[in-house]
Amino acid sequence: MSEWLRENLWRHIVAVSVSLFALFPIYLVIISSINPTGSLQVTSFIPTSGSLTNFSRLFNDPAIPYLTWMKNSLIIAGTVAVLSVIVGAASAFAFSRLKFKGKRSGIKLLLLVQMFPALLALSAVYVIMERVYTFAPAIGLGTQPGLLLVYMGGAMGVNIWLLKGFVDSIPMELDEAARVDGASAVQTYWLIFVPLAAPVLAVVSLLSFIGTFNEFILARLFLVDMESRTIAVGLQGFIGGQYSQNWGPFAAGSIIASIPIVIIFLSLQKYIINGLTAGSVKG
Amino acid sequence: MKVLYLRKVTKTAKYVAVALVSAILGLLIQSAFAQKQYQIAGFLAIALVAIVVVYLTDVSVPFKFLLPGMLFLFAFVIGPIVYTVVMSTFQYQNGNYIAKDESIAQIKLLGVEGDEAGTAFDAVVGRDRSGNLAILASDVLNKQYFVSTSEIKIDLFAADLELNSDGIATSAPGFVLVADSERGSLDSLLSSTRFKYKDEFFVVMEGSDIGVVKRQVLEYRSDTDVFINLIDGRTFADNGRGNYADTSDPTEILQPGWRSPIWFANYVSLFTDSQIREPLLRVFTWTMIFASLTVLTQFALGLLLAIAMNRPLRGRRVYRSIFILPYAMPSIMSILIWAGMFDTEFGAINNLFGTDIAWFQSSLFAKTAVIIVNLWLGFPYFYLICSGALQAIPADLSEAAAIDGANPRQIFSKITLPLLLQVVAPLLVASFAFNFNNFNLIYLLTGGGPSSPLDGDIAGATDILISYTYKIAFVGDVQNLGLASAISVVIFVIIAAISLYGVRKSKVLDSFS
Repeated sequence: MSEWLRENLWRHIVAVSVSLFALFPIYLVIISSINPTGSLQVTSFIPTSGSLTNFSRLFNDPAIPYLTWMKNSLIIAGTVAVLSVIVGAASAFAFSRLKFKGKRSGIKLLLLVQMFPALLALSAVYVIMERVYTFAPAIGLGTQPGLLLVYMGGAMGVNIWLLKGFVDSIPMELDEAARVDGASAVQTYWLIFVPLAAPVLAVVSLLSFIGTFNEFILARLFLVDMESRTIAVGLQGFIGGQYSQNWGPFAAGSIIASIPIVIIFLSLQKYIINGLTAGSVKG
Repeated sequence: MKVLYLRKVTKTAKYVAVALVSAILGLLIQSAFAQKQYQIAGFLAIALVAIVVVYLTDVSVPFKFLLPGMLFLFAFVIGPIVYTVVMSTFQYQNGNYIAKDESIAQIKLLGVEGDEAGTAFDAVVGRDRSGNLAILASDVLNKQYFVSTSEIKIDLFAADLELNSDGIATSAPGFVLVADSERGSLDSLLSSTRFKYKDEFFVVMEGSDIGVVKRQVLEYRSDTDVFINLIDGRTFADNGRGNYADTSDPTEILQPGWRSPIWFANYVSLFTDSQIREPLLRVFTWTMIFASLTVLTQFALGLLLAIAMNRPLRGRRVYRSIFILPYAMPSIMSILIWAGMFDTEFGAINNLFGTDIAWFQSSLFAKTAVIIVNLWLGFPYFYLICSGALQAIPADLSEAAAIDGANPRQIFSKITLPLLLQVVAPLLVASFAFNFNNFNLIYLLTGGGPSSPLDGDIAGATDILISYTYKIAFVGDVQNLGLASAISVVIFVIIAAISLYGVRKSKVLDSFS
């Protein structure tokens, strides 16, 4: 047995078997999506024929408003991503740079809050939004704007926390120089912090996008109408329990829905991995 | 000149924005107040004042930055947390969902019974001369007719009336039929109006054209806060748990109840009520096993991969991108795909291995499936973490050990692993905390099942605390929000303790201590 074999063979064996494990579901869903029968049953793991019937059913079947779901998801996740970062960045800047009473306890509270699984307060959020509905039906339970507001609040803790970590790493000298030159806090924020932080703001907002896109249970509780659902709720309701019947279109739908997220994720890999070591876990 | 101009524009924009937000908040406060949502109205009023003060004066510059974020945090995170704690001290479930005064009104409305003959009339709805709501009732068999309002009943003669082919009176002097278009808006008034009949009896409308004779059975005495059954004389008093209960038989309660403060009774019942304690204990045990096994398997596989890849290897980049894929996929889609793969009849897993296992029907197989799927979802995370950590361990350490005669196994167990664990320990803790509440996985993969709902037990074999809490709050007949909130608070205490321990380990707090 050569030196190479002894050193490397087991590594390849491990890598190949884990690769098979990692790829199997993805491969399966791809061959299912082009399987013209659209059935869950795999007659052969190597596709013999391919067709786009599942995809066309997805776009044409009125029982599956797939494009509407996708549009809803993109709009909701996009809005949350942009707004929550705009709001969160300002707070993060204050927590990192400005002096005010109660700052220490504010940071401690933030730390606790960003660890709190939003899911635990689910019934409270539900009851509160149920009450909001009684006087403002446009932003209460069952509406997309209401869901958006709840998401904004939920994203706040983590976003402020991540952004604060970033602002902390910008050297103080920059602000001090600006202050010596007579810049106010507001000017320092807009002229120094925002341009410097632009890439990080983009990363954090894309992370919020992924997180919101992946959110299921609030969306499920809030969005009852077929037409107002997000892609996660829509596809789950579509497949729910009926795996054998709707598998083909579901496979096609889940592939399309995954593509934007996979692209964002892979292009942000470096940042996300740094974020991971800072202790955040992707949902 | 330009700067001055810019400043003017931003200032104007600021005033417009503040005015707009204040106007919206003002409107919301007004309507919240009108609907008696005082807490929400109060919060919005504070928000409004804060916005006006902070942005129109120079009291505090930091708050100009903090306020929007803080308002969202308070409204949708801290507020609900506080509200969860409050709800956990209430009897708050189906049947005890409304406020006490609403409950009294409902009991009064429902506490009626028909007369012995079950008398009913064909009736049409209209108004009398002074515009009061009235019915024109016809007893077709006995040819008796009358008009009745909540105040007075007037008997009529058939000769004065217009009868339709069924013998039902459709019009009478001084009685104006209500137009169909107006009917919809009258529904709630109509169902709560009692039209005069005889003695203690009155007529209530059931449906659109039948009036039924009823009398009040339950009467509310506001001075002693009890309901009296006028027929058999039983007394129903506030039982302190959100219901009026028969004073001689406490199990006999009036519906609906109201949400009533019961302080720590929900918490106490977690430990004392065996109907709650036993499933809870089972679920808790599985939650701990699930979270530990998940972290352990994910970490072990991730570490194995990281070690295997910790060396220049042909195809390493390709392997790496493949390993990351499960992590890059939206987890919801992955979980649903796996759920399909575990299908008994047609699923790819049984197909691949030629087995015929009913994965989600047996508790052991369902648990195995949950762990396997979570391993798939999470091992890339630990692979990434461990490879980073391995590269950060200085090579001279292991080289020095090798020179001292340590074999590779000793180097790994005595040097690499301890150093690695030091780096990843807080992340193991964070991952444990995350999986402790991994609702999506359980809900979408097994739905918490298998379970045997026949014995009234809603906890399934793979239910973890959070999915069980969800079931208590939103699934089934009881929907006990109070109990669910109490469990949520307990979970939060556990998670906070675990997370704070992890944070202390990772020294995040150093940055501001």
